[in-house]
Amino acid sequence: MALKQISSNKCFEGFQKVFEHDSAELKCKMKFGIYLPPKAETGKCPVLYWLSGLTCTEQNFITKAAFQQAAAQHGLIVVAPDTSPRGCNIEGEDESWDFGTGAGFYVDATEDPWKTNYRMYSYIKDELPKLINANFPTDPERMSIFGHSMGGHGALILALKNPGKYKSVSAFAPICNPIQCQWGKKALGGYLGPDASKWEAYDATQLVKSYSGARLDILIDQGKDDQFLSAGQLLPDNFIAACTERKIPVVFRLQQASCFCLIFGSVQQAVKRMSVGGQACSHCGPVPGHLRRRVRSDTSCRRMGHQGVRHPPDSAALHH
Amino acid sequence: MDLYGSKERFDIFPEEPSGRGDRSLGDTRRESALSSEKVQCPQEVGYDLEKEVAELAKMYGLDEDREKELELLGGHLEKVESRWSPAHTEKAGSQDSIYNISKSSSSVRDSSQSTKQQGLPDEASQGENQSKARADDEAESSIWSRGGLSSGGVSDEWNSQAVSEEEEEEEEEEAEAADVFCSTCKIPIRAFDKLFGDHKDHEVAQLPSAVESEKEEIHKNMCKLEEQIAQMENVASHLEEIFITVEENFGRQEQNFEVHYNDAVQVLAQKYEEQLEALGEEKRQKLEALYEQLVSCGKHLDTCKELTDETQELFLENDKAEFMKVKSFNCPKFLKQEVDLELSTLPDFEERVIDVSEVEQLMNSINAIPAPCAPVINPQAPNAATGTSLRVCWGLFSDDTVECYQLCYQPVSNERHSDGQAEHTLKVKETYCTITDLLPNTQYEFWVSALNASGISPPSERAVYVTAPSPPTIKNKKIRSCENAALVCWESRDINPVDSYTVELSKLTDEENDDFITESIVGIPNCEVLIHLQPTQKYHICVRAQNLGGSSERSEPVLIHTTGTCFYLNEDTAHPLLAILDDGFTISCDELENPECDLPVYDNSFTRCIAILGSLIPFPGKHYWEVEVTEDTEYRIGVAFENTPRHGHLGANNSSWCMRHIITPSRHKYEFLHSGMTPDIRITVPPRRIGILLDYENCRLSFFNADIAQHLHTFNSHFQHYVHPCFALETPGILRIHTGITTPPWTALP
Repeated sequence: MALKQISSNKCFEGFQKVFEHDSAELKCKMKFGIYLPPKAETGKCPVLYWLSGLTCTEQNFITKAAFQQAAAQHGLIVVAPDTSPRGCNIEGEDESWDFGTGAGFYVDATEDPWKTNYRMYSYIKDELPKLINANFPTDPERMSIFGHSMGGHGALILALKNPGKYKSVSAFAPICNPIQCQWGKKALGGYLGPDASKWEAYDATQLVKSYSGARLDILIDQGKDDQFLSAGQLLPDNFIAACTERKIPVVFRLQQASCFCLIFGSVQQAVKRMSVGGQACSHCGPVPGHLRRRVRSDTSCRRMGHQGVRHPPDSAALHH
Repeated sequence: MDLYGSKERFDIFPEEPSGRGDRSLGDTRRESALSSEKVQCPQEVGYDLEKEVAELAKMYGLDEDREKELELLGGHLEKVESRWSPAHTEKAGSQDSIYNISKSSSSVRDSSQSTKQQGLPDEASQGENQSKARADDEAESSIWSRGGLSSGGVSDEWNSQAVSEEEEEEEEEEAEAADVFCSTCKIPIRAFDKLFGDHKDHEVAQLPSAVESEKEEIHKNMCKLEEQIAQMENVASHLEEIFITVEENFGRQEQNFEVHYNDAVQVLAQKYEEQLEALGEEKRQKLEALYEQLVSCGKHLDTCKELTDETQELFLENDKAEFMKVKSFNCPKFLKQEVDLELSTLPDFEERVIDVSEVEQLMNSINAIPAPCAPVINPQAPNAATGTSLRVCWGLFSDDTVECYQLCYQPVSNERHSDGQAEHTLKVKETYCTITDLLPNTQYEFWVSALNASGISPPSERAVYVTAPSPPTIKNKKIRSCENAALVCWESRDINPVDSYTVELSKLTDEENDDFITESIVGIPNCEVLIHLQPTQKYHICVRAQNLGGSSERSEPVLIHTTGTCFYLNEDTAHPLLAILDDGFTISCDELENPECDLPVYDNSFTRCIAILGSLIPFPGKHYWEVEVTEDTEYRIGVAFENTPRHGHLGANNSSWCMRHIITPSRHKYEFLHSGMTPDIRITVPPRRIGILLDYENCRLSFFNADIAQHLHTFNSHFQHYVHPCFALETPGILRIHTGITTPPWTALP
């Protein structure tokens, strides 16, 4: 479980670092980016996990999302892992951009040759948090997750499959119903085998239909003119319909963005969501059944004074 | 026995010197010697006194009467001096320095330099300084005692003590290596002497401890002296006042005497004149009468003579016939005429009574009381009135004897002819009176006359007093508040305007609900005030009205919780079809079209949108409220400027921001409208309770599903003006508004 620091840069009074470690789950060397806010020098901070989209590495989010200022302000540790095992020398892993390397799809593969290494679901769910909690000043009770595209799908399924584990979940243009779309069919078929009923365990829309447990509060941002939205890869409507039926609270915002990209402000809002959702309730302790508790007449929660950070809606596009 | 380690042994001795009897004996001896010395220089003392008196006169600003005063005071002070002479143990030669000190102590007492000059207590000062200071203090105390003001005992003791210390010092010089202090003889001695010398059987103490106790003693005395100085200053200022009063009284009495004696003198002079004149007249009449008598007497004489001559001539007449003729005619006729020889005028004058009764009366009246002068009525003292009573005060210029006063008053009215304004008259013994049963915030006119046995004075000037106002009434339903402020308004119960209002706050604590005023805001000109408060507290707020006469009673208090924002619905803005239920916060709409179409429309009310505005406190910061809705009601809720167009729809213009709920056949649709624009947002769980957060500081208006703490949407807008909550119904239904809610922490979200 030894960590090897690859890089470290001072950033908004905190540090943006990249580490490498040997993953037991994935049986390969994995890198992840971690932002340590100034507050981490003196106290424990909640952790926000970012899951990137297709083809991404840990670098994309670090360099393009410009989340660090908000994270510094709110005292959040932000962890951005890679999107798949790398260098496992599996035949065909680099053949296509939407399968294999850079396209782990956050599932535990059951099919050969992938099942040994491609266990991103377990990696994100267990191994990485353990590693982070063991090596950094974190508050293990407070973690949230968000992601983009395939990462959005990852965030949704991780939250839906582990009620109460995450304080909040946000997704940007997530793949909401992979069993219905081309990307999903290809990846899930590849990793889990042809039996489509097995895929449902990793499908957000399917998971919502049987969800019970802690109340979820899901925020989804979607660019209106996203080419993959119109191509039927993302299918948010299916997810919304399922949530409406199951009374799972979702705010779905169709933004005026021109392409499949991340709105800068959305990331920041997601970061802030995490910060409040996590921090405000620190006094009450973790209570399964509520991702975010309403805490009344608790002044210390209110005192944190979140200043709205405003930036021009500069679109910092990430790769899928 | 350990001869050299005697320290320990000395420690067991009491610190306080015990040989007090001996000491006082010595003092007496010394005193008597000094007082005899003192007798030898009365002149010098007298001289000093004169100077001092001059000084005093200057101090009291009595220069013009200086000579007289000097005489008076000089005599007086000499007497005092002789009385206090035992206290004077000063050597004659030090008198001048005493005088200097008295000067400095009266003129430069406050300056910092005076400390040095006067030698006021300074514990840290060295031996010689101390003795100098002591001497100075002695001098000062004697100065004050000479003024006849000091209590002799203290200075007496003090002086004698000082004297004894001088002695000590002298002897100290002789004994070179004194290390212990003989309490009996009051001198430092060598330890050796204790054992073998004169002090063998005397009580001794260690020198440092003796010095310490002595210093303490000195310090105490210093304090006493300071007290006395303060006391004396007090007395002096008192005397000053008495000086002035004596002067005034003298002048008044003098004038009184002058007037009355002048009267008496005039009356006497007049009497004298009158009497003299009457006397002269009588004399003249008498003389005239006498003269007439004399004249007639002369005439008679002449006639007699003539007749005699004629008769003689007749005698000489030879002609008998002629003789007979003539004789028969004149003489008998003349003789028949009676000669008035009675003295009709007496030389005595009429007995005249000198009547001094009038003068006597006048003289008596000098000592008897004159009829008093008109009293002087005081203007109204502020804050002395209540709503129904006034305290009127007056005074007299002169020392007139007054048995009682007659106080009259009547309400001031603009209509002169109104006879209903009855004049009231009261007899009062004192120079003040509290009149009750008056009307609040009303002007009354007062005048007063003084009465005594000799008569009644003319009335004083008329003074107008005003009663305090009635307590105002706080408009309970119009209170707006938030965590940090409250806007309270009230109405006056008086017809006449009042000067200002005072708002009194009392913060209620959990422990005790005592109403102690924690803050008052005074001088509020209007019937409305914005009060800054602390969050999450309870306040009792009451208002008093204020005018010249004073302040009214408190209004009924209102309770304000600063837990959250409270507003009220502005009924004036309500669309005619919109009804506010009794709780004041539930609005309902039963039908969208009124068949009769004849609804009253007010100037300020919404005409198109079935809407109403709330009245929010105009205060920056955060405001949060919630609205309970039903899933099948269509509504618009949000905020709007006060002047948002009444004929338009909320959210359709740039002066309102609102969340709109529309029911489509397929789903619940939510719009977040401003200027007719909305983002495309889908909400999977229809909110039943909508939280609205207005945050002026962060320029945002946020909507939440309050039941699940879900953020729905935020408008980012820099509000140019204060906004008000707005509510509109687009289908029949009700909206329940909840105010006074603490802003939930999760609203900090987006």
